[in-house]
Parts: sequence; C-alpha cells; structure tokens
Amino acid sequence: MSYGSHRVLDGLSIAVPAGSITALLGGNGAGKSTTLSLLLGFVRPNDGRVTVCGVDPGVEPDHARGRTAYLPENVALYDHLTAVENASYLLALSGNRPSRAAILDAFAAAGLQERAWDARLSGFSKGMRQKVAIAVAWLREVPVLLLDEPTSGLDPQATADFNALLHAIRVRNTAVLMVTHDLLSAVDVADRIGFLERGRIVEEVAATGTERFDIRALRARFGERARAA
Amino acid sequence: MPLWMHEAQLLLRSRWAAAALALLAILSAAAVAAGMAEIARQRGAIAAIAPAQAEDIAAVRAFVDRSKDGGQAAYYSFHPTWDAPSPLAFAAIGMRDVAPYILRVRALGIEAQIYDGDTFNPELALPGRFDFAFVLVFLAPLFTIALFHDLRSGECEAGRARMLEAMPGAGRLWWRRAMVRFVAITAALTIPFLAGAIWSGVAIGAIILIVVVAALYLLFWIGLAGLVSSRGRGSTANAATLAALWLVLVLIIPTLANVVINRTNPVDEGAQIALAQRENVHRAWEIPREETMRRFYANHRRWSDAPPLTEAFHYKWYLAFHQNGDESVAARVRAYRAGLERRAAAANALGWVLPSVGVQALLTRLAGTDLTAQLAYQDRIRAFHRRLRAFYYDYVFYDRPFGASDFDKAPRYRATG
Repeated sequence: MSYGSHRVLDGLSIAVPAGSITALLGGNGAGKSTTLSLLLGFVRPNDGRVTVCGVDPGVEPDHARGRTAYLPENVALYDHLTAVENASYLLALSGNRPSRAAILDAFAAAGLQERAWDARLSGFSKGMRQKVAIAVAWLREVPVLLLDEPTSGLDPQATADFNALLHAIRVRNTAVLMVTHDLLSAVDVADRIGFLERGRIVEEVAATGTERFDIRALRARFGERARAA
Repeated sequence: MPLWMHEAQLLLRSRWAAAALALLAILSAAAVAAGMAEIARQRGAIAAIAPAQAEDIAAVRAFVDRSKDGGQAAYYSFHPTWDAPSPLAFAAIGMRDVAPYILRVRALGIEAQIYDGDTFNPELALPGRFDFAFVLVFLAPLFTIALFHDLRSGECEAGRARMLEAMPGAGRLWWRRAMVRFVAITAALTIPFLAGAIWSGVAIGAIILIVVVAALYLLFWIGLAGLVSSRGRGSTANAATLAALWLVLVLIIPTLANVVINRTNPVDEGAQIALAQRENVHRAWEIPREETMRRFYANHRRWSDAPPLTEAFHYKWYLAFHQNGDESVAARVRAYRAGLERRAAAANALGWVLPSVGVQALLTRLAGTDLTAQLAYQDRIRAFHRRLRAFYYDYVFYDRPFGASDFDKAPRYRATG
C-alpha cells in the first residue's frame, strides 16, 4: 500500500479470528491508521487483498462497514445531544433501531453512570464518550470491532474499565483489532500482539497460559521501540 | 424514529442553526407583513378615491349645470384612474413603490399628466422595499450559506467525519443531511409567505409556482455551497468564498449589469417628455389659432366639420392645442417606451444566467408589479383618456349644450381600462 512513492504498508499479512483481540503495536508512521483505513474501505490497496467477513471493503464498503464497528482515537460525538440521543442517532445511521431500554442496558454494560444517560455530552470526559461509542458498537452486534488508540488519554481506572468491556465483547465472538502504542493495555487485553514497523509486522506473539504474556520479556525486547513510539 | 427525524433533531438542537432558521422565519414573516401592510395602504388609498371623487364631481356638476359649457366641464373635472394591486403584489412590490398607482386625469394633454409623476425616489429605488422578494433574493442565500458551508467540513473539524463515514450508507448521510437542511430553510422562508398568500387570496397555482421558484433558488445556492465545499478546504474558507460569491452574484454583477444596460439603452427621462409636451402646448399661445386647428383637424378628421373659431376664446382651440402637444411628443413617448422595454428585455435575458436577477424578475412579473404592468397601466390610462376626449369633443367642437345629465354620461375609468 503506497501513497504516491511512499510505501506505507509492505507485505502486511494479518488475520483476526472471531472471538479474539489482536493488537497492532507500532510507532508513528508504522502504518497502523492506514491498516484501519483499508479495513474501513477509505483507501484501496495497490496490491494484495483485504476482506472483512469475506467482503472486500474497497469494493463493497457499505457491506463491510455493516459488519464493522469503528472507534476512533478521539470519540467526537454531538455535544448538543444527550448520550441516549447520540447513541440513537449513530445506531439509526447504521440501520439499527433499538429501544431506549436496550440503549440504557448497553450504557449500563459499558459502565456509563446513570446520571449521564440523559445529559448532553458537552460535559463528558473522553472515557465517558468512549463508553457511549462502545455501547453503540455493543448494540450493533457486529462481528468486527476496530479500535484506534482506544486507551490513549484515559486514566488507569478508565483504561481498566475499557479493557473489561473488550473482554465482554470478545466473549460475544467478536473479532477485535486494536491499533495502539500502549504496550501495557495491549498486554492486558490482547490474545495476539503484532509489532508493526515500516508497514510490516516484524514480530508476532500470542498469549499463552494463565500469565498470557511475559511482560518483562516483551518490555525487554520491544520496550525501546515502544518508548520511541 | 426515522433517520430524517434524527437529522432534524440534530439540526434544530444546534443553537446556531435553530437561531438562523428562526431569524429567517422572522425576517420572512416581517417582510410578508410589511408587504401586506403596504398593499393594504395602497388598496385603502384606491378605495378612498370613490367618496372623494363623488364629492369633487358633485361640485363640478353643479357648476357645469349652470354654465352649460362642455369645455369647462372638460377643463375642471378630474377623473381618477388606478392600478389595483394583484393579490400577489405583497410578495414583490416591485415598481409599485416608485411609480404612481393612482392618477387623476383631465381631458387635456395626457402625456404631461402621465410623465409628471415619472420621477423616481432614489431612497426607495435603490434598495427597494423590504418585501418577500427582497428576503428571498438577498437574504435567504446568506442563511443557506450559513447552514451549508460546513455541512461536511464542520464534521471533519469536529473529528466526527471519520466515524460517521465508517458507518454503512455513509454516502447517503450527506445527501440526507443536506435534504433536511434544505427542507428546513425552505419551510422557514416560505411558510410566512404561504400564510400571507392564502390570506390575500392568491391562486393556488401561483402559490405553488412561487414556492417552487424559491426552492429552486435555494437549491442553486446549496449547489454552489456543495461545489465550494467539495474543494476540501476548511469551514472558514468555505464561508468566506461563498460570502464573496454572494456579493458578486447578488450585488456587484446585477448593479454593474444595470449600469451597462442603462448606458447601452439610453432613454429620455419621463419628466423631459412632460416638459417638451408642456412647451409645445404653451407655444400654441404664440401661434395663429387657425394653424393649430388646421394641424388638429389634419389628424382628427372626425371633428373637422366643426364650426370655425370666432374671435372669442373657445375650448375647442384649447383642447386642440393640448392634443397637438401630445402628438408632438408621440415619437419621444414611443422611443421612451421602447427603450424601457429594451432595458427590461436585457434584464430578463440576464435573469436566465443570473438567478438573483431572474428570480426577482419572475416574482415581479407574477405579482404584476414590473415594468410591463406599469406600462399596461399607462396604456389603460391612455385608452380611458381617448374615450374621455372623444366624449367631450363631441360637445365642445359642436357647441352642444352640456348639462348635469350629460355630465353623468361622461366615461368612468374601469380598472381594466
């Protein structure tokens, strides 16, 4: 995948199975956002193949997006609407018409405090906005969830809450791909971690046993790279 | 809730958008109210003619019955003519605020009577009236720009565009949003007009046509906003570009075009025709009366067998030199009218490529307040005046006694001529 003469992704090969969380770690310019853009059908690859549940998002973007929920790094919603109205609108855009009760259940599941449900978003923190967006993704029941730097800027408690939510989503057999440069968060939730550098995965590790990842070893091997990112 | 209702909620819950739509609705309502008030005032003035005329004519009638002189009746009696406004006139007052819609005429020279009032009030002629046409042509584009300049760029700047476009059916999102805004702005603009039009008894076909024209005009500006926005610049740059286009398309080009049209189609001023007619009339006092009568009879054989003049003053001579005065400026009147029509035709042609000019021309045409309507009123005055002259000439030229009962037979102006 190239922009002009600049090669952004170079032989990237990745598959995210259902019911798993894959984290792509990499610094700025590693190709993380371009990977998401390919999966969302915003750009088309110069060569190679991209499929979401068997659908090429470059050819049938609507079909691919109908199977995908996407959370950008900064979840910007409509400040002059309430949380329920925002969720209701975004769900309507994706062709879903859940009841208010279902939306409130999803908010509760996402950990959004009850007093925030009918409040306008102008006073919401980043974490609260993310909970609204994740509740929308939850209600859409899509098989694929794409996350762009989901824990960037969140405090430790909000990060822990978010990771707990991801676990719950994985249990529903959702394939989750998150791009991040937060090694700790990736270690906490991911089943596999791919290290992306200059458009290709230079190493891939999978969780094993109860400890999942050997954080010390990962830090030792990739800490330098992660810090640089 | 259907998606379009979500979009409507999104629009109306935005303070700026709601305020803009409310302001447009208020301006439109104020313009409709102002237009209706002006037309009601004009109708009131026309309605007041009949009692005032009855009082005036009663006094002349009593005098005429004593003198038995048709000439004096012709000289002293004024006859009102009026141009009743159409039901739609409130929406586009057009020339009705700068050209007379009531004219009292006598059976004397008509051209001076018509063109005496042909002086424009520059204070009114420059900006025009605050009517629905003004709000539609000049102000509605600004509100359209306000609502459409950041349709997509605003979402990009707020950081929402990527998430919205990651939704299925994202391509339809912008069309749907534009449609909701278009309906909202059209409603804010036209609902006050609809109320005014129904109240004024405007025909349903004309109402529909005006609403369609207003919608098409707004669509032109929406298309322009879409074109500018498609260049992918920021909201501020879009707004500045569209504001500049508004200035050029609504103010600068029409003004320059008006100057060019007027320069390339020079015409007399109406007052100059009135002056020339008066000078020709007054010159008759200096030339032999027989010469005046010879010229008159040459053009009006119908009365050429009338008894010759004596040494005493006679109204037939007076009326003849007035009519000669009219005929002496007939060519200038035709040239003036043709010049005005050429100017109007050029402006109408410009309207095909410049929507602001085209919409204004169309509204005044439909409302019967344009130059064509004004010239048609002048034609009705002249037609009535011809009947008036013929009526009095039959008495005056043959010295037939003219009593109160004859006075009652004098032609009365009807709005249709």
